[in-house]
Amino acid sequence: MAERRKYKKRYCKYCEAKVDFMDYKDVGALRFSLSERYKIMPRRLTGNCKRHQDMISTVIKRARAAALVPYTVTRKAVVTAPFENLK
Amino acid sequence: MRNYENLVIVKPTLTAEEIQASIKAVEETITSNGGEIAATDSMGMRKLAYPLAKNERGYFHVIYYSAAPSAISEIERRFRINEDILRFVTIKYDTNREVKAWHQLVQKAQKKSAAPTTEAKTESPKVEEAAEAAAE
Repeated sequence: MAERRKYKKRYCKYCEAKVDFMDYKDVGALRFSLSERYKIMPRRLTGNCKRHQDMISTVIKRARAAALVPYTVTRKAVVTAPFENLK
Repeated sequence: MRNYENLVIVKPTLTAEEIQASIKAVEETITSNGGEIAATDSMGMRKLAYPLAKNERGYFHVIYYSAAPSAISEIERRFRINEDILRFVTIKYDTNREVKAWHQLVQKAQKKSAAPTTEAKTESPKVEEAAEAAAE
């Protein structure tokens, strides 16, 4: 039972900011829920609530289709600073 | 009528005029199919996250419009035929919350497009002056 309380109690940052809608073109805002290899971070690590996790996952998938965010990062296709063209 | 948004990636190998012409053609396909363009937003030439048809960069253009749902399949069919377009993404704004966000995005795009035109107006006389100076 003592081992269970290993992590800090997490909260949904999107709920705190009262985010109602996410835009897939705003790539900088998606960075929080993406891992180093551009995988979608799981809820247990980010602390997102179910509603906002569903929103962010659809938005990231749209951004991937629009070539704004890579699908995968492998050793062959390393993306060096993919957000460099953001202002 | 329903609210939509289209992101279009145009080939980077074209010249600036050809890009503008192909964007105009894209907007025409929307209007000719009964769509009403609310706002446009050109994000400019950007690096792609992954190569599309061996292109590393692309010209991004966003069009916000409202159209009948039945017209979308025809618009997308035309986009597939167009060889200047590397990729297009169509987004539907259906629920009340999304429609509200759509109106906000349209306002943002209109503001953004309004700002550069004033700059262009101020820039164009300078260009003329430079041309005159060169002529002299």
